[in-house]
Amino acid sequence: MVQYSYFPGCNLKTNAKGFEKSALAVSKQLDAELVEMPNWNCCGTVHTLVSDNLMKRIAPTRILSRSSKHVEMLENSPKEVVTLCSMCNSTLKVVNKDIKNDESKLEPINFQLEFDEEEYKKDMEVKHFLEILRDSVGYEKIEKNVKKPLKGLKVFCYYGCMLLHPDEAKIDDEEMPAVLEDLSESLGAEIIFSPLFKYCCGSYHIVDQEDIVNTQVQKIIQSAKQSGANAVVVACPLCAYNLDAQQKLMEKQGQDKELLPIFYFTQLMAIAMGEPININHFEEHHINPKKLLKKLKLI
Amino acid sequence: MSKAKANSKPKDNVSPTVRIYIMGEAKDVPASLTIMKAIEYAGYKLTRGAGCRAGFCGACATIYRKEGDYRIYTALACQTMVEDGMYLTQLPFVPAEKVKYNIKDLSPSAETILRYYPEVARCLSCNACSKVCPQDLSVMDYVQYALQGQIEKATEASFDCVSCGLCAIRCPAEIPQYHVAELVRRLYGKYIQKYPETLDKRVKEIEDGVFEEGFKEFMSMSHDEIVEKYKARDFIDQKKK
Repeated sequence: MVQYSYFPGCNLKTNAKGFEKSALAVSKQLDAELVEMPNWNCCGTVHTLVSDNLMKRIAPTRILSRSSKHVEMLENSPKEVVTLCSMCNSTLKVVNKDIKNDESKLEPINFQLEFDEEEYKKDMEVKHFLEILRDSVGYEKIEKNVKKPLKGLKVFCYYGCMLLHPDEAKIDDEEMPAVLEDLSESLGAEIIFSPLFKYCCGSYHIVDQEDIVNTQVQKIIQSAKQSGANAVVVACPLCAYNLDAQQKLMEKQGQDKELLPIFYFTQLMAIAMGEPININHFEEHHINPKKLLKKLKLI
Repeated sequence: MSKAKANSKPKDNVSPTVRIYIMGEAKDVPASLTIMKAIEYAGYKLTRGAGCRAGFCGACATIYRKEGDYRIYTALACQTMVEDGMYLTQLPFVPAEKVKYNIKDLSPSAETILRYYPEVARCLSCNACSKVCPQDLSVMDYVQYALQGQIEKATEASFDCVSCGLCAIRCPAEIPQYHVAELVRRLYGKYIQKYPETLDKRVKEIEDGVFEEGFKEFMSMSHDEIVEKYKARDFIDQKKK
C-alpha cells in the first residue's frame, strides 16, 4: 500500500464530487490511496500564470510546503502531491518548476511563509492522478482489478488544454497523447479517435460569452459522434461542465437530440471495478449517464 | 489573553511607568494598565472603539508600532498591557461591506458564499489575515474552507471570531473575512447543525404534565426536608431503577 498526499482543489468539493469520490474509491482498490491534505488553499488558478508577481505564487508554494509536511504523516508516501483537476495540476507544476529553477523567486516567497512556520524546500513533485495510474500503478494492475469490462462503451477521450499545455505541465505528448486511451482500453472500452481531442472547450468564456462555448462544444461533440462515439471521457471539471451543460442546452433549443454523456475517467474506473454506483454522483450531471450504462447492461 | 507583556520590573514603592504615544502625544502611564485603561488614565474619554472591556465584543481593535521596530502590531485594547514605546492607533470601526440576505432563501454551499462575497475567490493565500488576528485564528484557512464549500470546517475554524475587523484591513484581496465567517456560521446553524430533537421531547413532557406531581411534592416540603433531600441526592435516573 502506498499513500499519496492528495490536493483536491475547489471544484472537486463543489461541482465535481463524483470525480473525487470515484477517484478515492478506486485509488484504495489499487493500493495507491489518495489521502486529502488536512488544510489546503486555492491553487491560485489563472492568477499564478503571471510570472512577474510573486504575491500570486504564494498560494501554490504554500500547498507544496504543506503537502511536504503531510507526506511525513503517510505510509510509504513518495514526495509527490497528487491532483485530479487539470488546472490545479498545471498551476502547481508550472510554479514548482519555476521556483525550483530560480532561487531568486523562491526566496521572497519563503520569506513570506516564514511567519507561518512554513518553508518550501524544493522537495516535492506534482503528479496528476493519471500519471500515478500510468507510471506507478500500471495498466496491468488496473486490468486485473476490472470486474465488469466496459463492453459496448465507445469512448472519445477528450483532453482539453490543461493536461497537455504548457510544456512544463503536460502529462503526455501534446500531439499524440495516449494516457486516457490506454486507461480506457484497460477497462474494456472501445476507443474512438477524433481530431478535436484538445480543441478548446471554450473554458472560462462560459461566464460571460456562452455562445463561444456553445460553438466550440458543438464542433467537438459532432466530430466525436461522426467517429462513432457514444460517450466522452474527460479529466477536467471545466471541460466536463461545458461539454455537459452545453449539450443539454442544444437539446432544449432543438438543435440536437442525441446526447453524449460525459464521464470522468475515474467514474469509468469505478464502474468497471465494481464500486457502488452512487459514488459517481450522476445526479449532478446534466446528461444522465445511467441511461447508456443501463442500455449496455453495465449497471 | 494578552499577546504583549509589560517588560519593566517594579521598583521599591514606586509604581513603574512606561511611555506610550496616543495619537502622537507622549504620555507616561503605569505599566500595569491595559491599553484601554492607559488611554483613560491619560485623560481621554473613549466614545468609540470600546465595548465589553472583556475581550468578547471586538470593538477595541488597535494598531500599534514599537519604537525601533518596523512591524505593525495589532491587539484588542482591553486585553493587552501597555509597553514602553508603543505608538497607538485606535480604530473606531472598520468600513467593510456587509451584505444583506435572507438566511431562509440560501443553501449551505460555496455558491452562496461567492454570490454574496465574490471577492473570496481573490484570496491569494498570503495569510496576512491570520497574522493580525488578535484571537489567533487561522483566518486564511477558514476563508479557504468557505470557498471550498466546507461550511462545517469553516464554522469550527471561525467560531472564536470577535469581529474586530483587523483581518479585513490587512487583506490584499479586500475580503471582509469576519463577515464571511458570520454568513458561514449562520448557514451552519440554519442548515447543517443537528436539530435538537430531545428539546422537543422535553417540552412535550412539560406540556403533558409529566413533572407536575414532582413539583407539587416539592412545593409542599418544609425547608428541612428539602435540605435533607438535597444532601441525599444522586444522579441516577430514578425511572430506570
